[in-house]
Amino acid sequence: MATAYSSAELLDQIEALSGQAVSDCYQCGCCTSGCPIGEAMDPPPSKAIRLLQLGRAADLLDSDGIWMCASCMVCGTRCPRGVDYARIAEACRALILRSKLSRVDPDTVAAPELEEIPQQAFIAAFRKSSV
Amino acid sequence: MDEAVNRQEKQRPRTGVFVCHCGINIAGTVKIPEVLERVGEMPGVAVTKDYKYCCSDPGQQMIRDSIKSDNLGRVVVACCSPTLHETTFRNACAEAGLNPYQCEIANIREQCAWVTEDKDKATEKATEIIRTTKAKVENDVPLEAITVPINKRALVIGAGIAGIQAALDIANAGFEVVLVEKEPSIGGHMAQLSETFPTLDCSQCILTPRTVETGRHPKIKLMTYSEVDGVSGYVGNFKVKIRQKARYVDFKTCTGCGACLEKCPGRTESRFERGLTKGKAIYRLLPQAVPNKPVIDAEACIYLQKGKCGNCAKVCPTGAIRYDDTDKYVEEEVGAIVLATGYELFDAARLGSYGFGLVPDVIDGLAFERLLSASGPTSGEVKRPSDGKVPKKVVFVQCAGSRDSTNGVPYCSKICCMYTAKQAILYKHRVHDGEATICYIDVRTPGKGFEEFYKRATDDGVTYIRGKPSKIFRRGDKTVVWAADTLAGRKVELEADLVVLATAVVANPDGVALARKLKTQIDAHGFMTEAHPKLRPVETLTAGYFLAGCGQGPKDIPETVAQASAAAAKVLAMFGNTRLTHSPTTAQVDEEICVGCGYCERTCAYEAVKVDPAKKKAVVNAALCEGCGACAVACPSGAMTHKNATKKAIFEMADSF
Amino acid sequence: MTKYVYYPGCTLYTKARSLDQCARKAAEKVGFELTEMPSWNCCGAIYNATNDDLAAQVGSVRNLAKASQIGNKLVTLCAACHNVLKRVQNRLDAPGNEVQSERLKTFVDEEFVQPVRVLHYLEVLKQDIGFEAIKSKVVKPLAKLKVASYYGCLMVRPREVLEFDDPENPRVMDDLMRVLGAEPTRFDFKAECCGGYLVVNRRDVAKGASQKILDNAKEWGAEAIVTTCPLCQYNLDKLRATTDGCLPVFYFTQLLGVAVGLGQGELGLDHNSGDPVGFLKSKGLL
Repeated sequence: MATAYSSAELLDQIEALSGQAVSDCYQCGCCTSGCPIGEAMDPPPSKAIRLLQLGRAADLLDSDGIWMCASCMVCGTRCPRGVDYARIAEACRALILRSKLSRVDPDTVAAPELEEIPQQAFIAAFRKSSV
Repeated sequence: MDEAVNRQEKQRPRTGVFVCHCGINIAGTVKIPEVLERVGEMPGVAVTKDYKYCCSDPGQQMIRDSIKSDNLGRVVVACCSPTLHETTFRNACAEAGLNPYQCEIANIREQCAWVTEDKDKATEKATEIIRTTKAKVENDVPLEAITVPINKRALVIGAGIAGIQAALDIANAGFEVVLVEKEPSIGGHMAQLSETFPTLDCSQCILTPRTVETGRHPKIKLMTYSEVDGVSGYVGNFKVKIRQKARYVDFKTCTGCGACLEKCPGRTESRFERGLTKGKAIYRLLPQAVPNKPVIDAEACIYLQKGKCGNCAKVCPTGAIRYDDTDKYVEEEVGAIVLATGYELFDAARLGSYGFGLVPDVIDGLAFERLLSASGPTSGEVKRPSDGKVPKKVVFVQCAGSRDSTNGVPYCSKICCMYTAKQAILYKHRVHDGEATICYIDVRTPGKGFEEFYKRATDDGVTYIRGKPSKIFRRGDKTVVWAADTLAGRKVELEADLVVLATAVVANPDGVALARKLKTQIDAHGFMTEAHPKLRPVETLTAGYFLAGCGQGPKDIPETVAQASAAAAKVLAMFGNTRLTHSPTTAQVDEEICVGCGYCERTCAYEAVKVDPAKKKAVVNAALCEGCGACAVACPSGAMTHKNATKKAIFEMADSF
Repeated sequence: MTKYVYYPGCTLYTKARSLDQCARKAAEKVGFELTEMPSWNCCGAIYNATNDDLAAQVGSVRNLAKASQIGNKLVTLCAACHNVLKRVQNRLDAPGNEVQSERLKTFVDEEFVQPVRVLHYLEVLKQDIGFEAIKSKVVKPLAKLKVASYYGCLMVRPREVLEFDDPENPRVMDDLMRVLGAEPTRFDFKAECCGGYLVVNRRDVAKGASQKILDNAKEWGAEAIVTTCPLCQYNLDKLRATTDGCLPVFYFTQLLGVAVGLGQGELGLDHNSGDPVGFLKSKGLL
């Protein structure tokens, strides 16, 4: 279970999976300001990294924000220090999914939407949020 | 065999080896007692001594005393890099009566103690370094320093506030200065500013007394609209080729009345106005220009391009227009050169997500200065480019391109926090019901009165939001900024009438090109490199070249003026001597062997050796020679040798190891 | 006529079948042929960014392996497939990644004959055919239609891998539209995200993101938007409450098809919401 680890262990795993070093971030907030989902994401990217910097990885894994990432990669493209939050969010989600905790249950998608929405969206969404 | 060895021993000079601990810098890794023991056993070593800090007075005294009491003919000091204390120890030897060029440094710190943690290996390496240095010093002959005359005239390249200050300081000391400026008039970027921080002095008001003094100073030869094409020679004796660009206006007959300016129909982008407006083909940068004479931009001039118009010539009361003007080349001889080529602003179009060049109401810091300036395109009224309306909401974006390894430059540009606060304050003074918001990452206020100035901004109602904006786009007649409030932890959308980007300070590209031509050092960002970052901020590693102003790195006006005066002081210190000394460890030609093949001439980076066409022999100009040894290596016959670094010496160093 | 090995992807093969047909027919008019590669499978729809998840790459590796047996290029049309396949190929070739690459290649039961260059249809048009050649094939210029070119995020990021164009201000599709006789408009949101797969469980968020894109296109006077990804197409086209007064959203191959003379029935217009036929007729293009 992801929550069985300490925050320090979680941070090590997150950094290993994502290939990012949270100490590189100087909290400028550019990732937050450019995120297309920024207003709806809690915590937004820069705040999420701040939680990791302050040893609160467990709090970040409990949040809704990490599931809101659309993997559009704007944050990493514009970060002045080259930190890619999209990969950090992916690593956080991976830790939870690998503990067999699904975020989105495919059965909850309504039938008319199943008909309409391009199937690539389902494949992508469930790969990101379900076990 | 023994006899030969004995004879060699009797001819071998007596060498003293002094090993420095340098605190724990050397002694922490190199086992000094072991080194002393092994060195003491080497043939020719008359005495070995060690001391904690050889460069100190008692350390030097120890060396001086030993030269006398131990009857030494050579000295090896095993210590730090020769770039630090070679001069110190050579002077100490000279004071004790030993020729300074028979003293050599064995670098057992930077090249030994500081590159390993293995004590045994360090000790062994230190011993071998000393052994080979001893082999070299035994071959050293006494040498006398060369002296060269000094031409006590200075060249200052760039007439912004840095160049102006340096030129005035040198000229006021009584020496002639040639001041070269590539624009038609002097003053640089400071002439574009409206007011300066933290005093809010009007920039023109504090600048023009200097520019006027420069223009009429009897000791300053002002060459505007000119560029330095090349420099040859060496410190104290430079020959400079200067290209005076074609002005198409005769400065002697032009009175600066300005009639031509009114009648010119030719239009071009005005760089001085940062693209906010179009300038004319015949132009003056500003009304208070020094010299107050216009020049013609040949590419924008209808007459010069198509043969039509000619209005300026028609209206000029003194007939000063010269359509047949050409570039002229002038040669000046000087003894010292000050490089003051200044800065430019990072091209904001490279920050793609900020919409510069696409969204009309996004401008950079210098453009906003022109809007604020009374002599600017809007006569000092803050009006936005798209529709000329007065903006009621202005958003300032700091760090646009600075501190950004991904899309900009990695360094901090130093002046933006302060000038943005200033621009916000000035905007609020002009537009009382206006809103000014500054998006920042940090606010850096390191100067006198700077922190108080920042407080003044917030007192005046300027809002600071901590977060670097990511995107700027258009919505209706507004400009939207996607910013962040990291202190509250959320994304913020700001709707502005005008957005001002505080773009990064970069080295003037013309200055970078010039540095390459002159072969002075520049760093990875194009800023000129100082000789030592802490202790020699206005000199370069090329003797005779000095630095002042933003060409060396971003800085504000007080620092620029201080650095310019410092550079002038270095020049005056040089001019205070009768002659300059030059190291005698130069190349020398054995004319009996030399056949004049010219390989040495082709190899020399300093143009110090030329083949005399009449004698068909290489001739070394010792004053230009920097003693790098490349020619000696290139010479196929061995005619070229390096004083005190002969082939014999080098082979003996290699053999002894 | 040059033949290119082609990977349609699951969406273009089913729900967006008519768009796939339109693209193939337009290709023939322009001068190349898309030959569907045999026995392909789903690419994965989104690239997995964790360092160690090899299983997520298997599908793409198998596709690349099968493609490598036929040739050294693979053409994609869907931006998502392009993004995934290109990034997986890049990862396989990345220095320092040899151990993982070998494991993947041995796991997949297909022989990896040679490295495959993943090309987008637009890259074929620009680099291989050339825009000047396409201009000569235009029979119905697009009547200076003001078009905003929407690239979406997957076409241009990450910059070093996709090497597609400037990620902040890409121009390839705009240049294509110009060559076809349309007038590309300025557009601040060309490469901003439409919300992507968030439409599945956070439809509201995707709707918000897409609306911003549509609003900005209108800001600059666009009369239509062109896209290059079925998911972007869906989000921009179908998430609106109503299509009255809204910009029509076309797939870029549909406008390409109009310009090179495909018939109305060949353009797959039944897929677009609103009245695309009426709109195109009103511009004299049908």
